[in-house]
Amino acid sequence: MTITRRDVLLGATATAALMPLAARAQTSEVVIGVIYPFSGGSAQQGVDAQKAYETALEVINKDTDFDLPLAKGEGLPGLGGAKVRLVFADHQADPQKGRAEAERLITQEKVSAIIGTYQSAVAVTVSQICERYQVPFVSADNSSPSLHRRGLKYYFRAAPHDEMYSAAMFDFFDAMKKKGTKIETLSLFHEDTIFGTDSGNAQAKIAGERAYKIVTDIKYRANSPSLSAEVQQLKSANADVLMPSSYTTDGILLVKTMAELGYKPNAIVAQDAGFSEKALYDAVGDKLEGVISRGTFSLDLAQKRPMVGKINDMFKARSGKDFNDLTSRQFMGLIILADAISRAKSTDGEKIRDALAATDIPGEQTIMPWKRVKFDEMGQNNDADPVLLQYIGGKFVTIFPPQAAIAEAVWPMK
Amino acid sequence: MGLLYGLIAVGLALIFGLMDVTNFAHGEFLMIAMYLSFFLFAFFAIDPLLSAPLVAAALFIFGAVVYLLIVRFAMRAKANAGMVQIFTTFGLAIVMRGLAQYFFTPDYRSIPQSWLGGKTISIAGIFLPEPQLVGALVSIAAFAGLYFFIHRTDFGRALEATREDPGAVALVGIDKNRVFAFGWGLGAALVGLAGAIMAVFFYIYPDVGASFALIAYVTVALGGFGSVFGAFAGGIIVGLVEAVTALVLPPSLKSVGIYAVYLLVVFIRPRGLFGSI
Amino acid sequence: MDKDFAARRRRDLIIAAVLAAIAALTPLFVKDVVVQNILILTLMYAGLSQSWNILSGYCGQISLGHALYFGLGAYTTELLFMKFGVLPWFGMLAGGVVSALIAMGLGYPFFRLRGHYFVIATIVIAEIGLLLFHNWEWAGAAMGITIPIRGDSWLKFQFLRTKLPYFYFALALCCLAWFVTWWLEDSKWGFWWRAVKDNPDAAESLGVDVFNSKMGAAAVSAFLVAVGGSFYAQFVSYIDPESVMGFQFSLLMALPAVLGGIGTLWGPVLGAAILIPLTELTRFKFGGSGRGVDLIVYGTLIVLISLALPRGLLSLFARPKKTGVSR
Repeated sequence: MTITRRDVLLGATATAALMPLAARAQTSEVVIGVIYPFSGGSAQQGVDAQKAYETALEVINKDTDFDLPLAKGEGLPGLGGAKVRLVFADHQADPQKGRAEAERLITQEKVSAIIGTYQSAVAVTVSQICERYQVPFVSADNSSPSLHRRGLKYYFRAAPHDEMYSAAMFDFFDAMKKKGTKIETLSLFHEDTIFGTDSGNAQAKIAGERAYKIVTDIKYRANSPSLSAEVQQLKSANADVLMPSSYTTDGILLVKTMAELGYKPNAIVAQDAGFSEKALYDAVGDKLEGVISRGTFSLDLAQKRPMVGKINDMFKARSGKDFNDLTSRQFMGLIILADAISRAKSTDGEKIRDALAATDIPGEQTIMPWKRVKFDEMGQNNDADPVLLQYIGGKFVTIFPPQAAIAEAVWPMK
Repeated sequence: MGLLYGLIAVGLALIFGLMDVTNFAHGEFLMIAMYLSFFLFAFFAIDPLLSAPLVAAALFIFGAVVYLLIVRFAMRAKANAGMVQIFTTFGLAIVMRGLAQYFFTPDYRSIPQSWLGGKTISIAGIFLPEPQLVGALVSIAAFAGLYFFIHRTDFGRALEATREDPGAVALVGIDKNRVFAFGWGLGAALVGLAGAIMAVFFYIYPDVGASFALIAYVTVALGGFGSVFGAFAGGIIVGLVEAVTALVLPPSLKSVGIYAVYLLVVFIRPRGLFGSI
Repeated sequence: MDKDFAARRRRDLIIAAVLAAIAALTPLFVKDVVVQNILILTLMYAGLSQSWNILSGYCGQISLGHALYFGLGAYTTELLFMKFGVLPWFGMLAGGVVSALIAMGLGYPFFRLRGHYFVIATIVIAEIGLLLFHNWEWAGAAMGITIPIRGDSWLKFQFLRTKLPYFYFALALCCLAWFVTWWLEDSKWGFWWRAVKDNPDAAESLGVDVFNSKMGAAAVSAFLVAVGGSFYAQFVSYIDPESVMGFQFSLLMALPAVLGGIGTLWGPVLGAAILIPLTELTRFKFGGSGRGVDLIVYGTLIVLISLALPRGLLSLFARPKKTGVSR
């Protein structure tokens, strides 16, 4: 019985639907669906993600010598060395298409689990479909806090969400204040999709709790043709810290506009996204000396854990880029998911789900600076500690929290 | 900024406004121009300012070819000419985006260092970024040139006559296709200029045109179809309205101001500010 | 001609009934959810395009802003449901009525505009709607609205895995839009519309009746599209401004009609039947490549079809003698 059937068209589908779900278990190959934007405005992230997943696939399917789950030996030991195969699907940043693709992957490609999606709005619908079909969904790189709070049983996120990130930023401010740095006023600058809105809300909430004053809170339209008016407002407010939550495109424009209008804040502490993208630093890196961004990943870790550097080289060979905050999370997400499938010794959705829920991987066996990987009852890993990175001399160095830091923060930025 | 919108719109004003051909691929023309400018910089280290004429020339050819290969046939349609134009150019826009993604990859590009990039002139506390300033000057020059061209040269008159009555001009020996192909080329060349200047301070990726296209249409329509001066005025108004709206409303709503002004204007003057058709 | 016309209308009605019956039976043979999904979308877009066609095809007022009504339908339904517990069935009607009223309100100033000015005004108004919803906290702003699914329920019009109820609703919507079009073709309104389209200036002098018939077209068209929007919201069970009010919906409503044959009774159905499966299949086939091949294929087809067949695909089947409506 062949189950790997790619181009199911009208005729063949009737039989496909009649096939009992249990048939999946007999396969010597495990199929995992990967849903990303491969066309449209954020196609770059999709293409980068594809490279990250292929790197993870190499680690899983080939015999490698890393201290990661599944690295040693070929394939999934729990399933007799079965190989993992990835099926990529394009959601074009449209929740409806994401939903349709998830359904197609589950019913036609017979995927055992789905991983994705970059855009949070798409994660909403994809995870709903997965819930309906009882197929686990690993949210590799979505950082919107609302996602795991919907009471879904099949939703898992190993990486931090924006509230955790924002909390880390304020922890950092608190620590800096203790050392005598003046941090009182903040300017929030966030885009108007789910990511920016959620991030802005989280930051405003924590700022209120810890008595920081928000002097401007600017929500701007993503992919605006111009940000001059917005930057003008930031400049006149001139807060101690500028906190942008922007994707790459807007990030580039923001930095260029700031330079043009002569606005130099004391410090920029960015909510990742655009500010972890190579493209942004290629474009305006010279103006960003000293910018601080949150992240879950730092290449500094390679000093303590050599495998991080080696895996990064594998990724670089494919993509020409270093791991960044997104691609490292994608890589790790697939490893964690495949590990669960192997432990489940089955491709059945419910068993994989239980195995995921039982995941407990120590931080040392990841490429991340996390304490460990263990999901709470909502599917969120609360031990994924965010780090703050500062861009100095053309690369990122970890400055916070103290246990991960390799350098002191430069403040104010140059 | 308003003059830059004007600069992007001026090419459209010629194609859309003067020749009365809908071009939904205008934003993609801009995208191509920005990529050209980027590659000339990346491979030959030619500053965007210098390469602007090259880009404009390349776009001229591109525009004329697009007209001869595609738009010519769309205009020939006997039924639903308007819709055929809309959807042909819309399909073309999708193809251009797809091709850009195929050949240029979806990576975000931008030109890090150039003569103009990031430099600013400060006059009495008002910051005038040089790229925008140059853009504004080019924009004024382009408008003046186009205005002169349309109203003072034989060719400009031929263009207008061709739009109004293609049959009659054929009788006096003007080849409609040659006139329009030249018009398209010229329109595209102006977009090329805009793209070269935009490339200095904007990021470049296959979908970049979409951010500007709608504003360009609104600019042209606000000024009124068939009027070069209208598109120029439209650009300035759009820029001003945008800046003012961003102060009054949350910045994420700043385009609402532009759109509202457009609606207001056409409700009062159904043919735009200076429109003749 | 009158006799001919009447005969053609009778024939159209019979064909439609047969097609609808065949469509209604397809789920007996097509069990695959992915194919069902494509069928549902096809029927939905056929219905939407049919509704768009009433205003833009028959009446000649080309709107590229119908996403506004689509989104209004979706939002009215879900806001009423989530905030006040009003069942989607009533929300659907409410959304339709709201949209129709707004369409009439807008029609008042809009119908004074001609040509490109009108088209751009429609794009712009939908864009304003999109931005407002994007910033409207109470309506979920960018976060959108997630409709919690608690199991199959006809009352709440939500179903876990089965797609059949959605399928039949989409079919019903498509049939309704078709029937309304069919009925309007031969009404007094239909007559005014042909007059407006053929010669706006002359029709203008006929005065108030013409204006009212345009308003009627806008209202009917907006109502049906809004119902489609609330259906879509229930079907996807998540809405955010971009995914129900984006410009792409305005285009997707217009495309089938244009490809099939604008201002014709059968154009939208034919166009949707070809376009939607094509979109889905190109994405399945090429979408995962990350290189934009699906866009190239899709775009090229649109260019070729609109160039080769300006009257739409329907003109392939056209008989030598055309009746009054399909100009």
